[in-house]
Amino acid sequence: MEIIGSREDYKYIGKNVPRKEAAGIVTGETVFLNDFSLPGMLVGKALKSPYPHAEITKIDISRAEQLEGVHAVVTYENIDPSIRIGYPPIKPFLSKRVRYVGDMVALVAAETEEIAKEAMDLIEVEYEQLDAVYDCVEAIKDGAPQLYEELPNNMAPGGYLPYQKPENLFWKLNKGDVEKGFEECAYVVEDVIAFDKKTAPLSPEPAGAVCKYEGNNKYTVWGATQSGYICKIISGMSIPGADFTINTFNIGGSYGNKQGITLVVVASAILAKVTNRPVKFYNSKVEQMVAFDTRLGSVLRAKVGMDKDGYIRAIQGDWLIDSGGVANGTQAQAAVGLGEAQLMMSKCENWDFESKIVVTNKTMAGCVRGFGGQELNSCLSLLFARLMKEGNMDPVEFYKKNFVQAGTQYTWRDGIDWTCKSINYVPVMTTLAEKYDWKNKWKGWNVPTWIYDDGKKVRGVGCSIIGNGDVGEDNTEVYVRVSPNMFTDDARIILQANCTESGMGQRSNICKMVAEILNVPYDSVVITPPDENVNPNGFGLCGSRGTITYGRAVTDAAKDIKKQLFELAEPHLLVPQEQMRLENFCVVADTKPGKSIPWKHLIPENLTLTGYGKHLETFATPNFFMIFVEVEVDKETGKVDVTNVYGGSDCGQVIDPAALELQVQGCFGSASLDTALFEENIVDPATGRQMTYDMLEYKWRPFNEFPDLDCCFMNSQFDTFHFKAVGVGEITGAAAASATMQAISNAIGVQICEYPATPAAVLRALGRV
Amino acid sequence: MESIKMKVNGKDYEFSIGRKFGQIPPNETLMTTLRERLGLTGVKEACNEGACGCCTVLMDGEAVTSCMLLTVECDGRDILTVEGLKNPKTGELDPIQQAFIDHYAFQCGFCTPGIIMSTKALLLKNPHPNREEIKEALSGNFCRCISQYHVIDAIEDLAGIKEEE
Repeated sequence: MEIIGSREDYKYIGKNVPRKEAAGIVTGETVFLNDFSLPGMLVGKALKSPYPHAEITKIDISRAEQLEGVHAVVTYENIDPSIRIGYPPIKPFLSKRVRYVGDMVALVAAETEEIAKEAMDLIEVEYEQLDAVYDCVEAIKDGAPQLYEELPNNMAPGGYLPYQKPENLFWKLNKGDVEKGFEECAYVVEDVIAFDKKTAPLSPEPAGAVCKYEGNNKYTVWGATQSGYICKIISGMSIPGADFTINTFNIGGSYGNKQGITLVVVASAILAKVTNRPVKFYNSKVEQMVAFDTRLGSVLRAKVGMDKDGYIRAIQGDWLIDSGGVANGTQAQAAVGLGEAQLMMSKCENWDFESKIVVTNKTMAGCVRGFGGQELNSCLSLLFARLMKEGNMDPVEFYKKNFVQAGTQYTWRDGIDWTCKSINYVPVMTTLAEKYDWKNKWKGWNVPTWIYDDGKKVRGVGCSIIGNGDVGEDNTEVYVRVSPNMFTDDARIILQANCTESGMGQRSNICKMVAEILNVPYDSVVITPPDENVNPNGFGLCGSRGTITYGRAVTDAAKDIKKQLFELAEPHLLVPQEQMRLENFCVVADTKPGKSIPWKHLIPENLTLTGYGKHLETFATPNFFMIFVEVEVDKETGKVDVTNVYGGSDCGQVIDPAALELQVQGCFGSASLDTALFEENIVDPATGRQMTYDMLEYKWRPFNEFPDLDCCFMNSQFDTFHFKAVGVGEITGAAAASATMQAISNAIGVQICEYPATPAAVLRALGRV
Repeated sequence: MESIKMKVNGKDYEFSIGRKFGQIPPNETLMTTLRERLGLTGVKEACNEGACGCCTVLMDGEAVTSCMLLTVECDGRDILTVEGLKNPKTGELDPIQQAFIDHYAFQCGFCTPGIIMSTKALLLKNPHPNREEIKEALSGNFCRCISQYHVIDAIEDLAGIKEEE
């Protein structure tokens, strides 16, 4: 990884510092959810529907209830019917109607997992099968099987109140005059593009939760969620009047997928309440893959126009979002997708574009790294590619013209117009393209970079970009406390932040920020566990928000401490505050050599000094990522191999180079780049069952299949917070699938639009099958 | 079979086999025994079908997925888990563990114990593997955060191939 550009010289910021969890992780001592238990804890499991759409005609739980060791069996007949999931919350948690294979039919709590499984075998269920629909285009047609009475034509309402005020509900963009816009365009394309294989984010640790019922509709949850606060909100929406307290552990991978973890939290809560015992509800790998949130499906039906200078000027159409059996906040992803589309076409003034959220008889989709933007961009960028081909435009030049810059306005996911500030990614686009040698590698649209002697194998390159304004989302607050050591002159710095750890190293990074400002050793800063009752409110990590949001809150809290220490030191040092600095846990007077006072003499004995910092939501500084992919295609077999990947951005001040590089390498994981090549969930149309139900059937990239990958970051000092950084981790793979499709198209000479580009798809594109 | 003997992380155990309370039933996997009876939760449970390698331990020096072995099959075997790597007296980490820290060779860390144990098995047999041999040895380990590049760098550094070149 290369970092270019001048920057401040910090002690910890911009340097690699070992993660706080490092020793625990490599020794196996780190506790993940499944390693945790409570006294008297029961095991919860769910009996799942074998049918994609059916009505339960009979359910008999008597034999299961009589099995020794079974504490509860809950079905639609004895559940509190007010417990509902989805947005709007219309899906009863357990209902007479099942809507996808894997939909929950009954919950069991038992002494052991074995007993729970045996009890599930003893539940007798009879079903009447109903017609099912698996395709979102078909699902909205008149006469299609209907999943919910409340959702005519299987469409969920647009707009999302947790994100938007009633007057700003945001699910479509109508502005300008599209007819006039298209008239001004030199090139117009129109097509239907699908990115709809509902791929698996596939964290190594499945979702799970332990819940303890505290009485009076209060629940304490220990959950594998990367965002305890989001989990609290979504769970609270599902059980009316419930008050959830959420604690989290180290999370075994999430990629945006383990946030609400609604199914496991609500299931454990229901069972904990009826048994009055703590209940662990932990998915198996197969349950994770067939009955937990997938990436959403995306079908774009649109007409897009570009003027002769290469600016997108008009878009008309709709974006169908397949959310599977229930729309559980999919509206939020629709809003972010629309926001990101505007960042990509920031000069476009004419919009007649609408998102439509569709329910189908497939596993429910949830949030995944990319969060709507990736799914829409994977379709939209293929239309851009056609326009660029028509206009014979170099994609790098196209992106420079069209991507958002400071001063441009867009409607973000809150339905409010924001004006972009501070950022400008044109210089980094130029730099990255030069470093990748794009001008020599790219030979034009649908032209291979080179062809082997035998003519069978060809190589091509592709380049895509993406950006997201969510990096400043949601308010967040923290405390920093200085606790002087009773016996020495140093102190422990306690950072109270409700910040989770699912692999990005953000808990350690915010400790670095505190250490930097207070000029103390990194080791002297400790961070409290992500326990909601211990910490002030923090939304957790999502949408790459942590860098700016926790960054601002912790640096402000540390600066608050610094200010208080200076004020307390004034009577002792008798110099103005501008002449003071912090060193060795003392306030030092710069202008009086040798004059200093230890913090512990400024803080009342046995007490701590507390600083407070907060971040208030802003969507004005979107992040950006550019990715180049080279592929080699065997035109005889259709097999595609990625030969190299290069990516980068300007992320402002780099906080931790190693963590940043790992985020870039993550472009292969969590259903990103490889959704262009082989990752897909395949549903058997005869049975509605997912054939890719486990890690043997679902394709993933093993250790010995990784191509060369390198990256480069510029180090501008953006106006975001004290350390001038922008989070970028979420989106490193978000444009990778479309870049890969572009590379394959250039290699084989025709555009391929079928995700994933399996050998069969490549041969179809070549007209050979 | 009434009982089996197993050495785990240098300590000898004898387990009673049967279906009574406290006994190990014949259908119990080695992973479950290690996690739930010996408290060795560094052995991670994930796919339960030998696909992801998160539960990898060494059996007589060979890397095995402990979810695919029954404990009753392990009579007389010598098992090493990630907890058995560091020096129990001094707390000093195994060089592999230290290399993983030095090279930032993990993200969420859930699959890391399994990757470290596969690495241990590799280095026991081949102390100086090249990059291709490292990749091949770890091809049964899943990592979705994508720490593969850093892991391979860490092991390559440890194997000393880079310096020799």
